[in-house]
Amino acid sequence: MNLKDCHNFNDFRKLAKKKLPSPIFHYIDGAADDEITYNRNTSAFDDVDLVPNVLRGVENIDLSTTIFGKKLDLPFYLAPTALQRLFHYEGERAVGKAAQKYNTMFGVSALATVSVEEISSMIDTPKMFQFYFHKDRGLNDSCLERAKAAKFDVMALTVDTITGGNRERDLRTGFTSPPKLTLSSLFSFATKPMWGINYLTKGKFELPHLQDYVQEGTSTNTSIGNYFSTMLDQSMNWKDAEKLCSQWGGHFALKGVMSVDDAKRAVDIGCTGIMVSNHGGRQLDGSRSPFDQLAEIVDAVGDKLDVICEGGIHRGTHMLKALSLGAKACSGGRLYLYALAAAGQAGVERALEKYKTELERDMKLMGCTKISDLNRNNLRFRK
Amino acid sequence: MNINDCYNFEDFRKLARKKLPSPIFNYIDGGADDEITLRRNSEAFDSCDLVPNILNNVGEPDLSTTIFGKKIDMPIFLSPTAMQRLYHYDGDKASARAAEKFGTFYSMSSMANTTMEEISNVSSGPKLFQLYVHKDKSITDDLIERSKRSGFDAMCLTVDTLVAGNRERDHRTGFTTPPKLTLQSLISFAIHPQWVFNYLTHPKFELANVSKKTDKGTNIAKSVIDYVNEQYDPTMNWKDAEYIAKKWDGPFALKGVMSVEDAKRAIDIGCTAIMISNHGGRQLDGSRSPFDQVKAISDAVGEKLEIILDGGVRRGTHVLKALSAGAKACSFGRAFLFSLGAGGQHGVERLLENMHKEIRRNMILMGCKSVKDLDASKIIFRK
Repeated sequence: MNLKDCHNFNDFRKLAKKKLPSPIFHYIDGAADDEITYNRNTSAFDDVDLVPNVLRGVENIDLSTTIFGKKLDLPFYLAPTALQRLFHYEGERAVGKAAQKYNTMFGVSALATVSVEEISSMIDTPKMFQFYFHKDRGLNDSCLERAKAAKFDVMALTVDTITGGNRERDLRTGFTSPPKLTLSSLFSFATKPMWGINYLTKGKFELPHLQDYVQEGTSTNTSIGNYFSTMLDQSMNWKDAEKLCSQWGGHFALKGVMSVDDAKRAVDIGCTGIMVSNHGGRQLDGSRSPFDQLAEIVDAVGDKLDVICEGGIHRGTHMLKALSLGAKACSGGRLYLYALAAAGQAGVERALEKYKTELERDMKLMGCTKISDLNRNNLRFRK
Repeated sequence: MNINDCYNFEDFRKLARKKLPSPIFNYIDGGADDEITLRRNSEAFDSCDLVPNILNNVGEPDLSTTIFGKKIDMPIFLSPTAMQRLYHYDGDKASARAAEKFGTFYSMSSMANTTMEEISNVSSGPKLFQLYVHKDKSITDDLIERSKRSGFDAMCLTVDTLVAGNRERDHRTGFTTPPKLTLQSLISFAIHPQWVFNYLTHPKFELANVSKKTDKGTNIAKSVIDYVNEQYDPTMNWKDAEYIAKKWDGPFALKGVMSVEDAKRAIDIGCTAIMISNHGGRQLDGSRSPFDQVKAISDAVGEKLEIILDGGVRRGTHVLKALSAGAKACSFGRAFLFSLGAGGQHGVERLLENMHKEIRRNMILMGCKSVKDLDASKIIFRK
């Protein structure tokens, strides 16, 4: 199997599994507890059916949408994800360039392995910086100032990682950052020598936004769950979020809002967007899926800020369903991470091309020529 | 296993799988994307239950119904399907003869391998011609004229294939028409020598009704996907459909209507029928199943249009449920294509005979004397 055999999400996943040492693959692939929420995030889309309209004349399709004041050519973007250089040695460089090529937003994690300055000098398309609220206020200020100086367009504060999720696959495989050789992981690293060679020879593994302040994740091995639990400030509250929002002074979103109450409160503190997200099922298992919760939130705040549906999206039709319910855009992490692991920049570009082709095809089949044509008349929920 | 061991859909499917090279079997068997709609089309029937009436003095039930101005002996007919020569060397001739024998409609696809003139010579039973609107208008006009001259009773215009669906099985098997030998398909052709022998020794494969106008699909090996995308007119709109309805000036249906709004509009442009269909789950995955949608459409337009349910029908009880929910008749493609692949004309006859027996038996068990007795009181939907 190689890249040209990858036609969908599952194909990219399969190829990533072949290329990655197993602790790293399972770090991407796994989720919290019994992974019930993780599975529901995708299967929720099957509870609603699309109802097409025919004979509309649909030669030219416009997939563009505007979020956070920026026009994107696609109605979805690349969610911020940590540690991308573990998945492919090109890491964020690959993902950023692919995002630029398709003119969509690139989300950069606080736990990125390439700096905001480098990304900013590399691509001029819309960029989002994802912020973790650390106990160390010096670190928080530094992240914010650097993202501002690097002219990032949007700041997203993650609010669903106040403590690490129970990712049992990581407990079993012994996944840490940076990766650590253990007796149990030795075999899996040894059987993927290309990954090992690239990891060791293509530049040092760094977390450039954090490493001046913390050892964990670079010089000291840590699991991600442990990092969240020990480094992030569990006392974070609405006041802190409001302060950050005004300190940033630009488009600001909360990532991980699930309740209508919180969505309304996000409006009050000055947010211009929210990501309805459960962190890809990686935090609280049994929590509601973004798609299941989307309509309520759109009804409450959809006219006041940009609502983004994040999680479980594998297909163009999933995006059409979320957009029909009123999401302004969709985003995803695994959506492109498997492709990154499978083949670097070429992989991410192929994935984006596939989703774009699917969206265009599906819009035509729905009888829609632009994203604003999608509405709830296109949907029927099964009883 | 041979044709006389086939009692139901799954049996015919199994036998067809044994007889056909794998790219061809999978072309019939597959659907779009994750095949969720393909599965739902049949599963939808399980969301409602039949409620029999007893002691009704049924006697010999009358299975006949009238569609497109023709009385047919059973409330199910053969959907138009492309390229039947690939499944059996007798192709459309076998299907047309079998349908005539059981007093029901045979339907011819624009992409048939037999001309309508030939079919007129071998069958005097009721016949439906299925039209695709090609970019080259003269192809469309020519097909309408010839259908008229060849004595076809009705015409349907397919409206759900403005762009080809994402049939990933075809990407993987490399399915093209005419079939092309590739390294990956070689083995599969080699282990089905009987099919290859028949394919090569019987008349040449061509898209007989359009071959004078375009050599695509006849002389150049193309995937059906490429053919659809190159030849069909994506700007097709209601005006075009109205023009065709007028030009045809006989019983006329749109095939692929799914929304109530479109069903109403079909009346306005002069349709006498609609076929509720999502193209057998082969186009827009995640779209609603015909059975899930039939009641809403029948409630809105059932008195003004004949409603045909196309998709997912495997059993006599499915037909009974569809009729109870408001359809006038059902049609099926895959079911009869497997029987054609499994045993040519004899196979299709056996399938139709099985269906006839099932419908008859089930009507007796339901206490219904005629298909008119099947109404909303005969089914209850589970919550």
